[in-house]
Amino acid sequence: MTAGYVSPFDDRVNPDQPLAPRPASLAGLSVTLLDIRKNRGAEFLDRIEVLLRDAGASTHRAVKEIFSRPAALDLVDDVATHSHAVVEALAD
Amino acid sequence: MPERAAPLQISGIDPEPLTLAGLVTGGAALLLFVSEECPTCALTMRNLGPLCGAWQQAGMSCTAIFEDPLDVAIRTARRCGWTGHVAAQAPPYQTSRDYGLISVPSAFLIDGSGAIQGQVTGWDQAALGRLVEHASALTAGALRPVPPAQPPTKPGCSSKAALDPELAAAIDAPAAGDELEEMFERGWTDGLPVVPPTTERVDKMLSGRDGAALLGSVPPAMGELTLARLAACAVLAGCRPEYFPVVVAAAQAALDPAFNLHGQAVTTQPAGQLVVVNGPVRHRLNMNTGMGALGPGNRANLTIGRALRLMVTLTGGAMPGTLDRSTLGHMGKVGFCIAEDEEVSPWEPLSVERGFAASQDVVTLIGCDAPQSISDHRSRTPEDLAWTLAWAAASTWSTNWWPLTEPSVFVICPEHAAMFREHGWSKQRLREFMFAAVRRPARELRRGETTPLVHQSDPAAEIRKWSSPEAIVLLVAGGAAGRYSAVLGPCTGMGYQIVSAEVEPR
Repeated sequence: MTAGYVSPFDDRVNPDQPLAPRPASLAGLSVTLLDIRKNRGAEFLDRIEVLLRDAGASTHRAVKEIFSRPAALDLVDDVATHSHAVVEALAD
Repeated sequence: MPERAAPLQISGIDPEPLTLAGLVTGGAALLLFVSEECPTCALTMRNLGPLCGAWQQAGMSCTAIFEDPLDVAIRTARRCGWTGHVAAQAPPYQTSRDYGLISVPSAFLIDGSGAIQGQVTGWDQAALGRLVEHASALTAGALRPVPPAQPPTKPGCSSKAALDPELAAAIDAPAAGDELEEMFERGWTDGLPVVPPTTERVDKMLSGRDGAALLGSVPPAMGELTLARLAACAVLAGCRPEYFPVVVAAAQAALDPAFNLHGQAVTTQPAGQLVVVNGPVRHRLNMNTGMGALGPGNRANLTIGRALRLMVTLTGGAMPGTLDRSTLGHMGKVGFCIAEDEEVSPWEPLSVERGFAASQDVVTLIGCDAPQSISDHRSRTPEDLAWTLAWAAASTWSTNWWPLTEPSVFVICPEHAAMFREHGWSKQRLREFMFAAVRRPARELRRGETTPLVHQSDPAAEIRKWSSPEAIVLLVAGGAAGRYSAVLGPCTGMGYQIVSAEVEPR
């Protein structure tokens, strides 16, 4: 029973959202390659970019200010507006 | 003629009430009555939960109605992967009674007019599949079918509404007097026993402050921090009410965006958040600045640091293994609070360095690794001692990752501090000596992972351990006897700044 206790949790935190639908093919899609500034992340994205272009996708590069903070909302909006898909280079 | 569905007397996450009329606007509503203790309910939520998002988009709302408190309902639903609405009902579970429940789980399909179109009791994959097929005829979009699952059927448990009132009350009573175990069951803990945050204890902690006052959102889950939730963390940690103003100041400092608690809370590094307390409040709270200052034994030191960490772990959702991804962690992540010995220190307190008056009560937050002890019983000059202290930090973070830009904290013991006092060394002189002392040629640092500066420099160029003297923080604390100081390595890569906050004046 909750009556009698004060919860330390914010119970309004929403459950996980479902994943966005996955495209069947990359051909003709615009894909953003997001460099979060982890060490050597850009090198990884360079290789991925070649493969994506081979698969018929157009690519766009974006960079986070620093890996340890959430991306700026402007950057998120820009990626969401101009891309069909995004690849994030997460770690070193 | 289908039976009319009874109105819902339930509470959900949102401030707006969940009504039947609101749930059937897409053409159909699935009501799933469940209970936290029932394994079949968990099975059903786990099997149906991932489909709820698609079903709701297609026009059938999905609501899990728990016969449990809302906070228990939300956590259970999240654990089971339920992506629909979550609601709770309080004893005597009137909505369960109105729907004639005997057992849970029980699923009801309601059409757009509010009529019951079907009911399934227990986990029955085929029957639930038929219920969803029926629902597809009521909604604009087609509903994804219930996939095959094992076992195909499983009986449920008794609904609490079907129990006699005495038995129901016994089940709902707080763990038959074992409140400490109940805290573990709720997940309101860092792994150690806690003090249950009863309304009475939280009210005492608040001491007349407005519990609804908002302090901000705690990363990484961005849980909203009210003063009441912080007071609940302080109670759980074991704080006395007179400690609470210090806890509040620590929370305010931690939530300053410059501190980047988000990065610190989720990093794979071991770092915790060190709370440094300065000012007269140290004495009012009987904090330990002396023997064992970084260790066990003092309630205020231990519980103030723990209250802050419980805020990060519970309100902020950074429980190790979930959003806290620390590879090893360290015991300072349970609680990490030090009161500086300003009376023994030859220097100005940290708070004064940071622009406050010595008469002000101040907390300062620094991201820190675990303490590494530095023994030196033989140095006879301040230069020798400063050299030993500085070089002890050479392998903090990494043997080769030079320079460090984030702060390293040195806790100087009284006997070591006395050496610098006797020779008239200021804090700044010691800091600059230590900065200058620790340097190596770039070629010796080119092993494994190292910094771009080391790679770019001439092999003979000298690289320093720190990027500036200001990356060295000096505190004084510890027992009067024994020449053991300590260095606390940095939390790096966070782009954060040390943040101080004044404790609410008395």
